[in-house]
Amino acid sequence: MLRNVFFKSLQEQQRSLFWWVIGLSALNIVTILFYPSFANRPELNEIFEDLGPLAEAFMGPIEDFTSPEGFIDSQLFSFMIPLLFVAFGIFSGSGSIAGEEERGTLDLLLSNPLHRRQVILEKFGANLIAMALLGVGTWIGLVAGAVMVSMDISWLRLAEATVSSALLGTSFGALAFALGSARGKRGTAAGVSAAIGVAAFLLNTLVPLVELLEPLTRISPFHYYNSAMPLFNGLDPLHAFALVATTAVLFIVALVTFERRDLGIG
Amino acid sequence: MTTGFGDVIHLESLTKFYGETRALHDIDLTVRVGEVFGYLGPNGAGKTTTIRTLFDFIRPTSGKATVLGLDSQADAREIRRRVDYLPGDIALYDRMTGRELLKFLANLRGGVDWNYVEQLAERFQSDLNPRIRTLSRGNKQKIGLIQAFMKRPELIIMDEPTAGLDPLMQQEFYALVEEVKAEGRTIFISSHIVPEVERICDRVGIIREGELATVEDVHVLKDRALHQLEFRFAQSVPPEVFANLPGVRDVVVEGTTLNGTVVGSPDAMVKAAANYEVVGLTSRETSLEDVFLAFYDGDSPNAA
Repeated sequence: MLRNVFFKSLQEQQRSLFWWVIGLSALNIVTILFYPSFANRPELNEIFEDLGPLAEAFMGPIEDFTSPEGFIDSQLFSFMIPLLFVAFGIFSGSGSIAGEEERGTLDLLLSNPLHRRQVILEKFGANLIAMALLGVGTWIGLVAGAVMVSMDISWLRLAEATVSSALLGTSFGALAFALGSARGKRGTAAGVSAAIGVAAFLLNTLVPLVELLEPLTRISPFHYYNSAMPLFNGLDPLHAFALVATTAVLFIVALVTFERRDLGIG
Repeated sequence: MTTGFGDVIHLESLTKFYGETRALHDIDLTVRVGEVFGYLGPNGAGKTTTIRTLFDFIRPTSGKATVLGLDSQADAREIRRRVDYLPGDIALYDRMTGRELLKFLANLRGGVDWNYVEQLAERFQSDLNPRIRTLSRGNKQKIGLIQAFMKRPELIIMDEPTAGLDPLMQQEFYALVEEVKAEGRTIFISSHIVPEVERICDRVGIIREGELATVEDVHVLKDRALHQLEFRFAQSVPPEVFANLPGVRDVVVEGTTLNGTVVGSPDAMVKAAANYEVVGLTSRETSLEDVFLAFYDGDSPNAA
């Protein structure tokens, strides 16, 4: 595991990643275990209907909450899963370069025959893999839950919705990574990214309540995450591409800013 | 100045500003192959800034640094391949054991002779098994030293290498420096500890407030060493006998006690004192920094 910066960075995240996977898959299983008590009560749909647009904002534009997709989308993919993926992304992204710099280990690392861009590339790669592993763990939790309550739902669609979450998390992770690479301050990178995340979430959920402002949601990554409803329709290639492109741009920002600046010593 | 054959480090008008703050000003410095060079100065003088420029962690505002003939910015990776580094106040990966860290660094450097690593660990009495987090300051420093020496690079740059080491380990470190030198390899050491520099370095550059004050052979500076002598005589002595001796200054007689400062050899003053009955004698050798300051406060500002 100590062959290079990539594996080292992955290994650093191993313990926290383990608990994130446990947490997320447990959340999924426990949530889905409640499904049978929802499934046969169509009257719940009317209750949600009565809550009006605010409920729709936070739980998605779902007609039937008692269907397997409606239940999982409203209970998990509308709020908890994307929130946790974004949090994990920010956590690992801000810890990469900025974490290393704040702990003072960046000098030691870069005194080895490495280009700065190589460190960026390997650390970013490690974060992508960590996010992918979190996605796999989350998906396994979803499938396990579905199997336990004999839920009739496509495993592929569950995977596609999870991929969409992972892409969302990655784009915010890339934001934190870029801020950390540009400034070397972990707290700032995490804090600013989290604030932007909250703003983007609120933008996507609350702005549609005012119909006129609806197009504004297009600047929020959350729009590209779930508005095409991947759990029902599969992953929308354009929306997925928007998230990947955001990540790519931020990665380039990290490369360029880190290449140019003076490094700190913690 | 041009880069000559055998120049290991060459700094040309190296200047670094942090905003308005000037960290380094117009540093010209050459380190030759095979020497142990001491970079001496108080904390905050710019030693670490200079060193971090050599590894391209910091970009100079103006001027140029070459290491082994390579440009510090354009050839940073090649420099890092051929030069090893002990950062000052070294921070290590706390969750790793010493062995894991050294293996990791060895992998990044394309492999090292592990027997030599074990040998170094033994010499420094460094236990590589516990997690680094649990180690004392001194024991972390030992791991830092091992990684700097382990690949036997042609140049080792060390920022305050003996910080936190107990005296026995300092001796071991000095011995190791001797060995590296005997093999014709070059060492650049920053330090604020004068006796250390005197002991292990061939040449010394003194830096103050971002400016290189002088570069000199250590023995030349030692020749200029100041001795503060205090003689206690059986009876009072005439001060003028001492005040006019070569190299003697600041002669003060109080009762039967005479104080004076000698630049260079104290021989003449001691012989003059021997004409009287001496009942007590104290000598205090002042530091290279003092030497240097006295040197510049004196009348030969261009002598360096």
